[in-house]
Amino acid sequence: MIIDVHAHWGPWFFTMDVAEANLATMDRYGIDLAIVSATEAVIYDAPTGNRALASVLEANDRLYGYVTVNPRRLRDAAQDLRTLLPTGRFVGVKIHTDYTGSPVTSPQLREALSLVASFDVPALVHTWGRSVLDLAALCHDIPGLRVIAGHMGADGYPHAIEAARACDRLYLEPCWSHFPTGRITQVAAAVDPRQLLFGTDATLIDPSSAYGAIAAANLDPKTQEHLAWRNAATLFRLPVA
Amino acid sequence: MFEANRLLGELTITLDVDVLVGDYPDRDHPPGTPEAVTQTLTANRTTAAAVASLRAALFDMRSGNDEILALASASPPGATGKPSPAHGRPPADTAGVPAPTVIPIGTADLRDPLGAARELDRLAASGVKTVRLFPEEQGVQAVFPSVRHVARRATALGLTILTGGDVRHFWQPFAGLGATVVFLDTHFYHLGDFLVAAADEPGFHTSTRLLNSPDALELTAAELGADRLVYGSRTPHYEPLVPQLRLATSGLKPDEIAAVAGGNARRLLGVTA
Repeated sequence: MIIDVHAHWGPWFFTMDVAEANLATMDRYGIDLAIVSATEAVIYDAPTGNRALASVLEANDRLYGYVTVNPRRLRDAAQDLRTLLPTGRFVGVKIHTDYTGSPVTSPQLREALSLVASFDVPALVHTWGRSVLDLAALCHDIPGLRVIAGHMGADGYPHAIEAARACDRLYLEPCWSHFPTGRITQVAAAVDPRQLLFGTDATLIDPSSAYGAIAAANLDPKTQEHLAWRNAATLFRLPVA
Repeated sequence: MFEANRLLGELTITLDVDVLVGDYPDRDHPPGTPEAVTQTLTANRTTAAAVASLRAALFDMRSGNDEILALASASPPGATGKPSPAHGRPPADTAGVPAPTVIPIGTADLRDPLGAARELDRLAASGVKTVRLFPEEQGVQAVFPSVRHVARRATALGLTILTGGDVRHFWQPFAGLGATVVFLDTHFYHLGDFLVAAADEPGFHTSTRLLNSPDALELTAAELGADRLVYGSRTPHYEPLVPQLRLATSGLKPDEIAAVAGGNARRLLGVTA
């Protein structure tokens, strides 16, 4: 069992044609389930993208959804959360700090994550560099918040170790188009395995990047199981054994 | 759960164009000794590697290039590897596996265009067929006169050029020269720029290292032909398993995969053995 907690559905603005590639991409790597956000929601218009994704999720039981939240549009966000979470097909919230101009240190992101915590679902937040430390501080400050550091800081992964140690409700997800040697090994050796998740950024990034980096790390079977699916199933309360 | 061997199947890398020995002094790891690099390549079923020197890139062209020439001379085809704890495909037993053949890659320092030209002459005279450029490591931009100067000199000498740098900028100093170039840092974000530049430049090729979107390899093959793709890993600084998995699971035909895994590079670098 493998659960991808960082995936997308929809087209990208780069020279690529992957809007319909979710299942084929998952199948190539034996990924059973993916939690996806709508690219339109992430990049441009959260409510419109969220509703488009809702119709896709109705027809596909291998995909779960993130309700994408723009921290600058919290009234829309609250409405989307009230409408979409009860469907059972949306299991978390996605927030992209760059596209929304909402750094982890911004007041609107703090407010957004407080809103998410009130709905008792996890949030996947884009992190890069040292921002993962700021996310840990927010995690510590907001009671009940469960938050995933998307990309686990990318090139700031040493900070991700410190962040995960600072808040046990903060989870690390490793996807990145770059794959420096030893990144996964270092993080897995220093972080509680219950805080590790598998994510790919598909269909933007092929799963080969995260999958290959993890395979190269040669993690022990128990850590692999936690990372591959067990932690995700618990965190998102998914009905998998 | 994460079983790379099953996905890789029979993939063998017959030439990796992007391998370095030496160290970055601002990093703690990984080890860049020839022995460690060889072990990593062997563990990842790589039979030949185009190896350049970080000493040459960062400090001194001549002594770094001599280091590479000596390394190539000391690694005849058919030498065997040792059991390895190196990074890469985990459980492979490399005992008795032939060590990869080292293809010597010269380096020209773009911070010294006059010295670089002299070094290119020396390298060509010594039989080196390929030169590598490190603009990012050397703080050199594509518009610097040095890049165009070195591009012209290398092309005039018949050398194949491996270059780092953002392809959206670094295509330009190599355009219009009839140069044979492999862009080592092409990211799939910038694939469109590479495709339109390379459509006018039959000598432009790209490493597959960062073409790790779900369709970048397939799109390049469809637009330009799979002969424009060459496998590069940046061993030991990047995990070789990633571009290998992308290639092995791609939609390319088996003969195209074999070409990308080394056949194309062997042609470009003039490797016959």
